[in-house]
Amino acid sequence: MVYEKPLPVINEDNAPYWEYCRSHELRMQKCTDCGYVRFPVSIVCPKCNSMAAEWTPLSGKGRVYSYVVYHMAYHPSYKGDIPYIVAIIQLDEGPRMESNITDCKTEDVRIDMPVEVYFDDVTEDISLPKFRPAA
Amino acid sequence: MENIKDKAAIVGVGYTVQGKVPGRSSMSFHLEAARNAIADAGLKIEDVDGLLMQPPMAAMGDPMVAPAYLSQQLGIRVRFMAAHDDWGASAGCLAQHAAWAVVHGMANYVVCTYGENALSGAGEYGNALNGGIEYGMFGAVAGYALAARRGMHEFGTGPETWKEIAIAQRRWANLNPDARYYQQPMTVEDYYNSRMIVDPFRRADICLVSDGGRAFIVTTAERARDLRHRSVFIMGMGQDHPSTNVPQATHLAGPSGAVVSGATAFKIAGITTDDIDACEIYDCFTYTVELTLMGYGFFGPGEGKDFLKAERLAPGGDFPVNTSGGQLSEAYFQGFTPLAEAIMQLRGDAGERQLGPVTNTREPEIIIVSGNGGVLQTHSTLILRR
Repeated sequence: MVYEKPLPVINEDNAPYWEYCRSHELRMQKCTDCGYVRFPVSIVCPKCNSMAAEWTPLSGKGRVYSYVVYHMAYHPSYKGDIPYIVAIIQLDEGPRMESNITDCKTEDVRIDMPVEVYFDDVTEDISLPKFRPAA
Repeated sequence: MENIKDKAAIVGVGYTVQGKVPGRSSMSFHLEAARNAIADAGLKIEDVDGLLMQPPMAAMGDPMVAPAYLSQQLGIRVRFMAAHDDWGASAGCLAQHAAWAVVHGMANYVVCTYGENALSGAGEYGNALNGGIEYGMFGAVAGYALAARRGMHEFGTGPETWKEIAIAQRRWANLNPDARYYQQPMTVEDYYNSRMIVDPFRRADICLVSDGGRAFIVTTAERARDLRHRSVFIMGMGQDHPSTNVPQATHLAGPSGAVVSGATAFKIAGITTDDIDACEIYDCFTYTVELTLMGYGFFGPGEGKDFLKAERLAPGGDFPVNTSGGQLSEAYFQGFTPLAEAIMQLRGDAGERQLGPVTNTREPEIIIVSGNGGVLQTHSTLILRR
């Protein structure tokens, strides 16, 4: 089946992030000067402007910082998905990221709810980090 | 350092046809708005020697809207010019840069323009802003709805409070013949029956998308006194641009850009919130109004649900907000919607919706105007007086 939903736009800077996702690892850049873990991907650390960084593995555990429920399909490929949840996840290691929460009824999602990452292999090249309620 | 307070004035406003206007380029709205602003000020084309513009956001397949093309087609030769994209904060930022330019003699009359065929053109506001499209996170609505949900959690507000904002602004629009919702009221029932788009936002919480444009002209206070309309002076100004992308943002539920931007403007103006007669607040979403007014210090965290009551904000109320109907119920021209309205009100040119005896409200001496762009990522403030 062809995957018709919009895919992330991969460029020189964020390619490593998506490569790790492809191997089901959630990694983000950690500044090797000040230790700040940053997201989204950038060539400089927003805390100290250092360009030195390493891709540090994350636990994939976090909590819901905020969430919304889409009742309108802004793209035809999402017609079968509404209502679906888009959330900001506060990861245990500090950064926050946007993603989907699945395996959870839309009326059950709550702020501060514990969640954990899994990877949805949507195409051969792209695996999306998504979240579900923590076991 | 020289104080900018009351040194510059806004002396002309240009409106265009607005609403659904198919078959027009974004450039054409910039031009129409600019020539109308020049005419409104009573200036000759050759008087205008400065040009600032906000490029259209969503334009696709359109003639490129660049300052030199605008100046070329208006037939003016300027000695001060820039395109300025601070998103929704741009109108306020343009006015500030224009004010400094005229005060320091870089130009005498600066025309500031915006125009976009946002409703009928090929562009889309529904595209991803700030990323996240791979998770079905489409449009500015995603970020603002995430911010609003966090606001519900932190401040105990929500649709119950936001309906007050939406209904009050609709009552103002009902008095504005140019508004999308002129003479079309909104009841509490209408608000709750409005279609859920991205929970917690209903259609009634979300601004319009409009074709059209707006422009205004800035000159020195001295020159303004010789022109045809009552002068509107720039009393205070500020900016703050949190910029941070949505997930990392700590400003989704405050302190937003309004805090520093507002404090800067109040300090320059030498006044407090008690001196403000009306507020023209960037209202891309109802929640933006709540968060901005809180940031300016009109009420504290947790006090919004008691403060924001339709009878206070609407015609006849003691705290008038968005008196044209705003972006929710009049038309969406980014920061030019609230700014143009503040000027019309201070000039006394607002017709049926004029603050003062006509609407059983205070005569406006001082109005605060906000601009806000991205997902609460840019912010500008103007305090205007007559």
